[in-house]
Amino acid sequence: MSADPTVVLGVQVAPPPRRTWLWATLGLLVLLVGTALACLSVLRSGRPLVATAFEISTVLPGGLGEGLGVEKRAARAESELGKLAPRGPYIVIDTYRNRLLLLEDGKVLRSAVCSTGTGRVLRDPRNGREWVFDTPLGERVIQNKRKDPPWAKPDWAFIEEGYKPPPPGSPERWDTVSLGDFGLYMGDGYIIHGTLFKSLLGRRVTHGCVRLGDEDLEFVYKHAPIGTRVYLY
Amino acid sequence: MRRLVLASISISAVARLAWAGNEPPSAAYLASRELELVAAKKPQVYLVLSPEQRALEVRARGVTLDRVSLTGLELLSQQPVFGRSLPFSPSVPAWWVIKEGPGDADREVIAPAELRPMPAEGEEEPEATPAPTPTGPTPTPTPTPEPPVSYRIQLENGWDLWITDRLPQQGFLRLVGAALRDGWNRLRGRGLDLPPAVTLVMAPEDARRIHHLFRTGAAILVTTGT
Repeated sequence: MSADPTVVLGVQVAPPPRRTWLWATLGLLVLLVGTALACLSVLRSGRPLVATAFEISTVLPGGLGEGLGVEKRAARAESELGKLAPRGPYIVIDTYRNRLLLLEDGKVLRSAVCSTGTGRVLRDPRNGREWVFDTPLGERVIQNKRKDPPWAKPDWAFIEEGYKPPPPGSPERWDTVSLGDFGLYMGDGYIIHGTLFKSLLGRRVTHGCVRLGDEDLEFVYKHAPIGTRVYLY
Repeated sequence: MRRLVLASISISAVARLAWAGNEPPSAAYLASRELELVAAKKPQVYLVLSPEQRALEVRARGVTLDRVSLTGLELLSQQPVFGRSLPFSPSVPAWWVIKEGPGDADREVIAPAELRPMPAEGEEEPEATPAPTPTGPTPTPTPTPEPPVSYRIQLENGWDLWITDRLPQQGFLRLVGAALRDGWNRLRGRGLDLPPAVTLVMAPEDARRIHHLFRTGAAILVTTGT
C-alpha cells in the first residue's frame, strides 16, 4: 500500500481540480463590494464643507420704493452722515500696526509710529483686582493738553513691579519724567504722551496709553487743539 | 413750519445737485445709508462689508478709517455629496452682530505672587534685584502673540463669519475625501455640525490686523446698492 494518495494500487491518479482560486476570487469580490458599499454608506453620511457663491437677497424696509422720495432721503442721510464726520484736524490710531495719523480734510498731516496697549491683564495678588492693558477702541476727544505732564502713578504701576502701592497722595506716586514733553488727554486716564523707551515704539507695550516719539509728539501737540477727535481701531 | 419747508427745499436741492449727472441712488443704497446712520451716531468703530465692492471697511462716524480688499467672498456650508440643499442667501442690507468673537481670546495674565513694601528713599532692596532704569511705566519686551490668519466668528443670526487667507480646495476627489473623513467621524459619533459661514478671503496680514476688531457685541453692516 502506497502512502501517496495519488497512487492507488500502483496506478498514478490525477489530483482533483483545485478550486481555491475560485474561492479566492469570490472572496476578493465580496470584499471589494463590501468595501465599496461601506464607503458609499460612509460617503452618504459625510457632510464636507462646500463653497458656493455668496449671493445676497436684497430686502428693503417697508414702504421704501424707487423714485424721488429715495433721492431726497438719500441726500438727507448723506447730509446727516456728513455732519457726524470730524471737522478740522483729527487723529486716527491703528492699534495693530501701531501707527498714528494726524489728518485734516482727509489729507495726512503727519504719520507717526506709536506704541499702544499690550492687551495683557494684571492681577493684584491681595484681592484679585484686575487691570486690562488695552488701548480703548472707538472715538475719543482730546479733552486737555499739557506741557511737561506729570504722572500720578496708579496702583497698577507699583503692583506690576511687585511693590505694595503707597497711600494716595504719597510723593512716591509722582513721576515727572516718564510721560515726555507733552500730554494730550483723551479721558479715563488715557493719554497720548512721550516715552523714555524709544526703541519700543511700533510695538504693543503700553498699559493703554499711546506713546509717540519726541518730534511726532511735538507736532501732534501743536496741530491738534483741544476738542480734536481721536479714532482708535 | 417755515423752517421745515426751507429744510425740505434745501434737501431736495442737495439731492438734485448730489445726483446730477449720476445714476440716482437705489432704494437698497438708501436703506444701507440709513442703517449706517444709526451706528455713526455712536462713538464706536464699526465694520462695513460691501459684497459688491469686495471690501471690508473700518468706519467711525461715517468716515472710512481703513479698508481691506477681499480676494474671495463665498458661502461655506456642510453639504452631503449627493442631494445638496444650499442654505438661504442672507438678506441685506443688515446689521450682523458678533455673538462671540476671537478678539475675546484668552489674555496673558501677569500676577505677582506677593507684593513687597516700597524701599524707603536711599534704602537698598533686600533682594539683589536690578534697579529699573529709567523709572516710569515698565516696558513689556515680551512680544505679544501674533493673531491667526484663519478664524471663525459666531454671529447672533446663527451664521458664522470665517476670516481666512485661503478657501479649502474644492476638487471632486478632495470633496469625496472630506466626505469620507466626516462620514467616518459621524459613524463614530464624533461628527461636527458647523453653521453656514460667510467666508471672507483676504491677505494673511489683513486677516491678522483686523482680528482684534471682532469683539463680542461688535457690529458689521452688510451693505448693498449704489
